[in-house]
Amino acid sequence: MSNAFAVATHGLSMRYGRETALDGVGLRVPEGAVYVLVGPNGAGKSTAMKVLLNLERPHAGRAEVFGLDAAMRGPEVRAQIGYVPEQHAHDYGWMTCGRLIQHVAAHYPAWDHAYAAHLIDVFGIRRERRAGALSKGEARRLQLVLALAHRPPLLLLDEPTDGLDPVVRNRTLAQLAEHLADTPTTVVIATHHVHEVESLADHVGVLRAGRLVAQMARDELRRTVRRYQVEVPDGWQSPPELRITSVRRSPGGREAQWTLIGEPDEVTARLAAAGATVREVTPLALEEAALAFLSEEGAP
Amino acid sequence: MMEVILHPTPRWRDVVLEQVRVVGLSFRREALAVAVALGILTLMIGIDIVHGRGATWFDSDNDWFGVVLGSFFFPFAVWRRERRFGPAFLWTLPVDRRRLALAKAFAGWVWLMAALISYGVWQLALAALSGVTDTRIVPLAAFTTASVMYLFGSALVLGLRHPLRWLLGTFGVFFVLGMLGDALRFGPYDLNAFLISRGFLSAAQDAATQWTITTLLGLGAGLAVLWAAISRHRENR
Repeated sequence: MSNAFAVATHGLSMRYGRETALDGVGLRVPEGAVYVLVGPNGAGKSTAMKVLLNLERPHAGRAEVFGLDAAMRGPEVRAQIGYVPEQHAHDYGWMTCGRLIQHVAAHYPAWDHAYAAHLIDVFGIRRERRAGALSKGEARRLQLVLALAHRPPLLLLDEPTDGLDPVVRNRTLAQLAEHLADTPTTVVIATHHVHEVESLADHVGVLRAGRLVAQMARDELRRTVRRYQVEVPDGWQSPPELRITSVRRSPGGREAQWTLIGEPDEVTARLAAAGATVREVTPLALEEAALAFLSEEGAP
Repeated sequence: MMEVILHPTPRWRDVVLEQVRVVGLSFRREALAVAVALGILTLMIGIDIVHGRGATWFDSDNDWFGVVLGSFFFPFAVWRRERRFGPAFLWTLPVDRRRLALAKAFAGWVWLMAALISYGVWQLALAALSGVTDTRIVPLAAFTTASVMYLFGSALVLGLRHPLRWLLGTFGVFFVLGMLGDALRFGPYDLNAFLISRGFLSAAQDAATQWTITTLLGLGAGLAVLWAAISRHRENR
């Protein structure tokens, strides 16, 4: 492939009535990456996935999957994608799980029947059960079987662990890790629960109100978003150029704990130049680091 | 960088066959109910045949009118379990959306024809047992008319989010206009007069030519509106 990105969107914008769902989004998901798309409800995560599947038509911009234009070559693009939608209920609830799997398999020439049988076994799917009678967790597991069994080059997982109990969630994530080890796959996971997929993630994108406010590799995120323990003189004002996302001050106001975005050496130097003393700099968990972009605010 | 091998899309033939299978499966219960009803009817006709009154069941082909009318509503049943609009599961499949809609519509038509043929064969068999040899009790025109009705029904279901509301609304409007027309004594300018008495069909020489023209026009118009309707589901380009 000449294209280094499995997914690339260019100025993607989309509105539902007066509501902006996506605003100039430029996703860049490298081939082979596990890209976690973080954002609150209504941030545009699901909409972005639907645009990639050509289920929604953007008002502006375009989307590419493995270099294929999602709008112009929708069927070919969808043939590359395993999709787990946000909602659990399946449109074909009247079918048995076995028949539904057979139905989906008929549309994917690359369907791996042996692997499908393995997944059915691992996820404990009972073929004879009606899809509409499944619990949230069971329906989610069935959706994962349908998404994984044709070993798609791209997986779009919208809240994949939603509705799963902790035991099944761990088993599911383990299965996903096993799948990634066996099959060359790029994964885009939209989730609120970054900590659940932290072990898999290597890239993170943060959507806020339809805008992509951050997008970077995991290592870069952990390096540039850190917690700083700082001692400041009375009446001290922080430098306006610092990107401060959260603040906790001691009762006396002289000690503060800030989450700051930027290269640590540069941030430390700026703080020192402004008269603050940096006591400690600690890295954050992936979820905290990603969420820092959601609570980014002006100077304290 | 990982080596990406792009997956192919399914063959059109496989998609159509799967749609035929799935649509057939979705009618399993209804087919069973119809089979039970026909079984009871067979029993009743059988009793009359034994008593030498079997022929009375086959003295007209009026029951085919209901069958043809039913063909118009058959697409409502074909699509009843499908979310036709919005990001539905059907449209996530790797098939051109318009072709997928067409495949499902075609699958419905296959089952409609299968049902009509079965019904015709059942009727002919019982008629023969009753001593009725007139094969006109199963009018061939019913199949073409049913196909045209099915196409229009499919176009309605696929083209409109709320087809029943539109249908009832349209009938309501026509009813009111009809009443108005009667009141104003439109007479010579009604649709029937235009099509039959003074229109192109009056130029046809015989019934066979009239039937061929009507059928071709009906099928052509049905296919045209169906194409316009499924175009609402085309890929977002």
